[in-house]
Formats: sequence, C-alpha cells, structure tokens
Amino acid sequence: MRTYVIQTLMGVIGSVGFAVLFGVFDRKLSWIAVGSGLGWAVYLLCVANGYGMFIGLFAASLFVASLSELSARILKTPVILMLVPMLIPEIPGGDLYYTMSYLVQRQYAGFGNASDQVLLEAGAIALGIILASYLAKFLRNLRIYVLRHTLWWS
Amino acid sequence: MDDVVGSGEAVVHGGDAEEMGRCLSAVMDIGELLLMHGAEVNRVEDTIGRLCRAYGFVRTDVFTITSSIIVSAMLPDGRTMTQTRRIRERDTDLGVVEAVNALSRRICTAPVSLGALKEEVGRIQEGERDQVLLKLGMYMMISASLSIFFGGSAADGLAAALSGAVLFSVLRVSAALKLNSILQNMICSAITAFVVSALVGAGIGVHPDKIMIGNIMLVIPGIQLTNSLRDMINGDMISGLLNMSEALLKAIAVAMGFAIILLFGGGV
Repeated sequence: MRTYVIQTLMGVIGSVGFAVLFGVFDRKLSWIAVGSGLGWAVYLLCVANGYGMFIGLFAASLFVASLSELSARILKTPVILMLVPMLIPEIPGGDLYYTMSYLVQRQYAGFGNASDQVLLEAGAIALGIILASYLAKFLRNLRIYVLRHTLWWS
Repeated sequence: MDDVVGSGEAVVHGGDAEEMGRCLSAVMDIGELLLMHGAEVNRVEDTIGRLCRAYGFVRTDVFTITSSIIVSAMLPDGRTMTQTRRIRERDTDLGVVEAVNALSRRICTAPVSLGALKEEVGRIQEGERDQVLLKLGMYMMISASLSIFFGGSAADGLAAALSGAVLFSVLRVSAALKLNSILQNMICSAITAFVVSALVGAGIGVHPDKIMIGNIMLVIPGIQLTNSLRDMINGDMISGLLNMSEALLKAIAVAMGFAIILLFGGGV
C-alpha cells in the first residue's frame, strides 16, 4: 500500500514538473495534479482487481482524457494543455528504455517482449484518448441537435 | 492568367484583394505559432478555418501536416488565394498555444483590424521567456520523481536529480551549438549514461536502470509516440506516420548513445 501511495505521489510531482516545463502555470496546475493522481489510482485499482495492464492503462487514459476534456471546458483552455501533463504517469517510458537496452545488448527475446509491450501500452493509451475525445464531440453534437429541435417545436 | 485560380499576390490585383492576402498571411502566422509549439494538427486546421471565416473568406481549405501548412481561401467574388508555410523547428510550449487560442476565440467573436492582430501576435511571440533556473529545477525534479515512480529508491532519486542537471546542461550546450536533433539525442544519452554509471560507481544510487529511466523520460519521445498513434486513429495518417517515424528515430538515437557507453565498458 505504502509503495503505491509513494508511486502515485511521485507521478503527480512528475506531471506538475512537465506542466511547468511546457509553460503551463496558475490554477491549471492544481487540476493537473489531482487528475494525474486520480488517473494513476484508476490504473492501480484495475491492476489490483486483476484486469491486467492493457485494460488498466485504457481505463486510466480514458479517465484522464475525459477529465481533461471537462476541465478544459471549465477553464476555457485547449484540451492538450491539460491532457499531456496529466498523462505523464501512463507514458510507457520504462518499457521504452528496456526495449532499447535489450536491443543494444543484443538480447533479442527480451527486445521482442519489451517492444511488444510498449506498442500495446501506447495503443491502449491512444485508444482511451480517442474514445474520450469522440465522447465529448458526441455529447456536444447531441446537445446542439436537441437544442435545435426543441426550438423548432416551440 | 484568369482571375479564378490565383496564387497569392502575384495574380490578385486591387486594394481589397491585396489587403485580404495580408490578412491570410497574418492568419497563417497564427497557425504557424500553434504548430511550432506543439498544438495538434486538428486544432491548427480548425483555428485557421475559423479565423478565415471571421475575416470574410467564404471558403477555406486547410491541409496541415507536422512540417507544413497549406491554405487555399476563396474571396466573396470567387477569387482564390493560396499560401504555404514550412515548419522546421518545433518545441513544446503549451503556454503559447493557450495564448494563441485565447486570441483566436476573441477574434472570432469580434474581428480586430489587421494592424491590431499583428501587434497581438507579436506580443505572444515576445512573451516566450527562457527561464533557465526554473527549467533546471524542473529537470531535476522530474528526473528524481520519475525514477522513484518507476521503482527506484530514494538514493536513486538523488542520483537521478544530479544526472538530470547534467542532462539539462548538455541539452543547453548542444542546442546553442545548433546540433542536429538526432545527434543531440545520441550525445545526451551517451553523456547521461556515463554520468549515471559514474554516480553508481561512486556509491550514489543503486539501480542504474531506474536512474536512467528517470532521466530518459525527459528526452525519450514517449509523448510523441502516444500522440502519433492518436493522430493515426483520428484519421491524420500522414502526421501520425511522420511523428511515429521521428519518435522511432529518436529512440534509436538514444539507444545508440547507450551503446557507445556499453562498448567502453560502463554497465548501464
């Protein structure tokens, strides 16, 4: 339990660091800190309940992307500003490192496993982001449609 | 030459059309700023389209990939003008993206004059400050926290902070020397790997791989790889492929940097 808390905390610090490095300041930082912490908690919960890495990362990135779509609308700012820093804990940096490390040491079996893992992880994350962004678009279009039709009826 | 298909100001005559050409150029400056500072292709196309409509073009076709912008815009009288921009340098600064976004929102509700628009764009460009100490602090903080995040101990975090500072200064120097970015990644990862193995040798830090991961997150194109997959699923195939091949090439460059150190006997 304690290691999980420390890991989440470190992920949050890393997210905030990247946000500042990318030129994001003021109250957006507190949203980013909360969002990245909750996102990693979602991943840890999924993995602890036996759903595996792919579903875990997919759920976490879906959560983080939905939260960033929502917060971007509240704060009136581009979604990417919230999304990129919030997603830092999910980024498969570790496995990308091991992929290259195996390649350099010519351990091709390890290289195959690790590169497979990286592509799977990046795919899960991308799928989560895409789904959230289309969900946001769908809700917006639905709202416009409903508004137009209620006006037409009255 | 007829007046339906024109290319820029060479064909478009008359004060109004010339003015519109300058307008289109200012709009493209805005798109260029967005693309150079890490906005998605979608957003660039969308913003340029909206701004053109706000300035009275009746039809705009925008095609953007990560390295260029092409815009054809039609005037109310049916004449068309085309401008292109080539983007060479890219550097993520989402603060600029946000400022440009706020500007374009404001313009779309109430278009300002061309002079005022140029002034605003200039102000955003001047606003890019370079805070060296803040960035150095962030490099150290990110390295330390992420190396612990990926399973390192507190001592590993300390070592990662130190080598993160070295990484930052190497990046600054190689950027000042205007090195090619692939070469830059290779040199940075080589020097970082060397510093990490020296630190572990000196007794600071235990797991060289965890320390390296903390540092490598700063140069490794993990964000770019994820974005490229997102672009492709979203339907922007060319941008996605460009981003992905750039990310893979960068990753290979980083790996070659390690290889140099491994060849000379460091055990990372």
